[in-house]
Amino acid sequence: MYSFLFYLILEIFGLIFLVLSFSVIVIYLVLMVLSALEMRDYLRKNRFADYGDIITSPIAPGVSILAPAYNEGQSIVQNAQSLLSLHYGKFEVILINDGSKDDTLEKLIHSFELQKTNYVYHPEIETKPVRGIYRSKNMSYRRLTVIDKENGGKADALNTGINIANLEILACIDVDCILSSESISRMVRPFMEETNQRVIAVGGVIGIANNCDVQDGTVTTYRVPETMLGKFQVIEYFRAFLMGRMAWSRINGLMLISGAFGFFRKDLVRTVGGYFPKTVGEDMELVVRMRRYLDEQKIPHKVAFVPDPLCWTEVPENEDVLARQRNRWMRGTIETLQLHQTVRFNPKYGVLGMLSYPFWSIFEKYAPILEASGILYTLILLMIGDFSAVYFFALLVMMYLLSLLVSSFSVLYEQIAFNHYKDKKDLRKLIWMIITEPFVVHPKIIYWGLMGHIDFIKGKGGWGSMIRTGFKKAEDKKNLAEQSRT
Amino acid sequence: MTKSFLWIVIGLFFPLAIQAQDALIPEDSLGFRDFLILQKEVTGLEYQFLIMGDNIPDSLLRDSVYTFSKTDLGLVSGQFEDFGKLDTLEAPLAQSNVAYQLQYLVFSEISSRATVREYLSTLIENGGHQIKVVEPQSKIDLVALASKSPYSPLQKFKLKFVSDYRLFGVTLTIAFFFLVASTMIAAMLVMKARKNQRENLEKEYESIVIDPLTSLLFEKELHEIEQMDQEEIYLFFPQQMLSKKLFKHVLIESIIGLNKKMKGEFKEKLKALYKKLELDKMSIRSLHHKKWDRVTMGLAQINEMDLVEAMPEVKKFTNSKNFYIRSMAVSTILNLSEKVDLKFLRDQTYPISLWQQMNYLRIIRFVSSQKNIKLEVLFDSENPSIRIFGIKLVRILGRVDLIENLAAFAGSVSDEEKMEILETYASFGAHMEAGFVNECMKSSNQALVLAATKVAMVIGDAESAEILVGLIHSESSFPRKLSLLKSLYGLDKERFDTETTDHPSSEISDIRSHILDPMLQHV
Repeated sequence: MYSFLFYLILEIFGLIFLVLSFSVIVIYLVLMVLSALEMRDYLRKNRFADYGDIITSPIAPGVSILAPAYNEGQSIVQNAQSLLSLHYGKFEVILINDGSKDDTLEKLIHSFELQKTNYVYHPEIETKPVRGIYRSKNMSYRRLTVIDKENGGKADALNTGINIANLEILACIDVDCILSSESISRMVRPFMEETNQRVIAVGGVIGIANNCDVQDGTVTTYRVPETMLGKFQVIEYFRAFLMGRMAWSRINGLMLISGAFGFFRKDLVRTVGGYFPKTVGEDMELVVRMRRYLDEQKIPHKVAFVPDPLCWTEVPENEDVLARQRNRWMRGTIETLQLHQTVRFNPKYGVLGMLSYPFWSIFEKYAPILEASGILYTLILLMIGDFSAVYFFALLVMMYLLSLLVSSFSVLYEQIAFNHYKDKKDLRKLIWMIITEPFVVHPKIIYWGLMGHIDFIKGKGGWGSMIRTGFKKAEDKKNLAEQSRT
Repeated sequence: MTKSFLWIVIGLFFPLAIQAQDALIPEDSLGFRDFLILQKEVTGLEYQFLIMGDNIPDSLLRDSVYTFSKTDLGLVSGQFEDFGKLDTLEAPLAQSNVAYQLQYLVFSEISSRATVREYLSTLIENGGHQIKVVEPQSKIDLVALASKSPYSPLQKFKLKFVSDYRLFGVTLTIAFFFLVASTMIAAMLVMKARKNQRENLEKEYESIVIDPLTSLLFEKELHEIEQMDQEEIYLFFPQQMLSKKLFKHVLIESIIGLNKKMKGEFKEKLKALYKKLELDKMSIRSLHHKKWDRVTMGLAQINEMDLVEAMPEVKKFTNSKNFYIRSMAVSTILNLSEKVDLKFLRDQTYPISLWQQMNYLRIIRFVSSQKNIKLEVLFDSENPSIRIFGIKLVRILGRVDLIENLAAFAGSVSDEEKMEILETYASFGAHMEAGFVNECMKSSNQALVLAATKVAMVIGDAESAEILVGLIHSESSFPRKLSLLKSLYGLDKERFDTETTDHPSSEISDIRSHILDPMLQHV
């Protein structure tokens, strides 16, 4: 009887892996088609867009740029100057010094002639105490506001900025990001184009600046990073931004906007209670909560995506740093999905509930577990002598080819749409990376993802058991935050 | 899969399987004997011959194969293990006409046929013996056997490929994958190749176009170009090039590009050339294209080259379902229309976005500097977004003359429009409309109240100050209290001082410090 059960379980697992393999192929092929269509339409629409008017038009909305800074003393002045020189008419820059232990604040005070004001800070969204709000005597820096607060993490710092932001659109960015001078005008366009659907947030592409030449806040010469991990991330970012997010944007199913470069409607962000500081995946959590809130209110809405290269950042090329980043991303994903379990397969939440959430659960959250289980399953089959080399190699080759196809297409999209990597040597490096990635880097990504799961179970990150309850309603965030304190 | 199912079958139907094996051992003596002969040797099973009486030939008695020995029952042969030799050993006994008996021995104990049969069953069940079955001697035997019972196959015929669902699934998936992947790769490669080819051709055509255009623009006067017939102009360009669509497209792009950069008579020359080369017909023809981007491109060309004759065609697109076509059509009409009649905009049923408003504003602003535009037409629109745009236009274009029109319907419009009107009054400093502002401050809509209080700071009166003070006293929300006090400070500083100086509430004191801080004046 035991042997019967054992073989039955093996049989069920075999069937699950077969269905999963088929689903992965179908889903990625569909995503490729959707992203191609979206990219084509975007490029067509862009031909008729004149961004010149936005800068001076009284009709264009105002943008509050929120940039949290922690121990950024070395580059903060240069970064702030870069933000202040963006080409846009109506914008303010709010830098939030999140309890830096270095001279970040002193450098800002000195460079921008800042003075502490009598600003009466009365937070709508609860945050760590604010020590002071600074503004400049010099009118050249009239757009700049600096908040000095106690350390509370990125989400808490952004919430502080949201509390004092004066303009309609919030641009939440990483202070060390390089922004193109026309980044605001390009990102604001989807908000301005809304008619029947409310555009609640706009995500942008993050480019990789490692090994590139940067001049006046824009990458002038693109070069592929020298390290293997750097090259891998170039491919990965193409896949994520030019393929994944473009495709999800096509069906209005975007669940994630990068925390390094995202634009949001201020009134809605305030209504839902801002960022949730208890999660490490605050960017994804906010988007899901906003969407969930509007779905519950039955308000048609859209999360848009702009594929233009407007923001660049340096990615970690060190294995330890990358491992920590991936671990954090995995925990963020698990936390967000756990918090919003109500959405799962719930038709009330439309595409979010029926497609995006299940996709993220199976192919992002459980991906490392499923892949590791696949390896374990193969080993068991080998041990009991039921291993079929035909199936194994057929599936292996098929998945490998799928990986090649998806990665090659994302590079091809980049070539067709933007063509940044003009040097053939760079392209050859990228192609070699595509070929070797599944064997060289992917296992590490799986391992880091698994470690993310383990750390989540251990409660690393301060969630404890609270996260498993999930929100009953989008508005419950504050109550849950209070519960977590007790 | 098959193996697994075999296990399942064995697991569930184990007793039946034993019975089935038992049935393979014949019960009759002859059948049983033949069965044993077929098995040859069976562990623990032997046989011997018992001859009753002494009547036995000497040759047999002395035969070393049999090694007969005398017992109480008669002569007993030695014990044999190989049942395969049974026939050979039995034949001499049968020929010598002696009475003999075949005896079976299980572990050297004489046993009955039933006991031996039972022993065999147990042995087979425990895997101690593998049953040998009769192998067919010839095809004739098979046919004879088959003819005895009607044919019913044990397993229906299936291709292994189809019966193994995993193999089938994997193959199907691979086939699907290769089909889709190869289609996509082919499509992308074709697209990339076409794009490259097109880009190369465009570059080539651009270089070809420059010289003739330069000659025509700088060597010919406007009237000369207008007097030239088509063939004369064609002579400037390489032969047969003008029959190529892509060449004409490059020509259109080049002329439009130059038109954007140049001024005065050059613009006129370019427009004349555009028509002489019949490129205007190409632009108008693209309005009938199925693809929205081609239609929009056609509209953009009509707009850029001032093709007024295409206006009736363009008007058909002002209420198009497609956002881009609609936007471009409205922009084109606004740009080309002589009378600048905004009735077509008034009648738009689709809500207009901020993006469209921005584009229309640019054109209307430009046109309004030359002609008088009847903005009031937009106030009659049934589309709220158009009415709001109309109010914005009054403010942005500084049309103070329309304040009366606004005042006439201000009381009866939606709160969103009221907020726009309030902002317009504030930007004009329309103190005579303080009454409307005060009315709005008494509204139940908090957003409208907040908008009105901000405007009261600019155009409010004594009554506004009273209302503000009342609101401040009743307000519990901190941000709104801050906003109300800011308005009061802007409207009446003395009253502000009275309300806030030495106030017992620390909240009010903090707000006072905030408002009076010069560093926060320009936030």
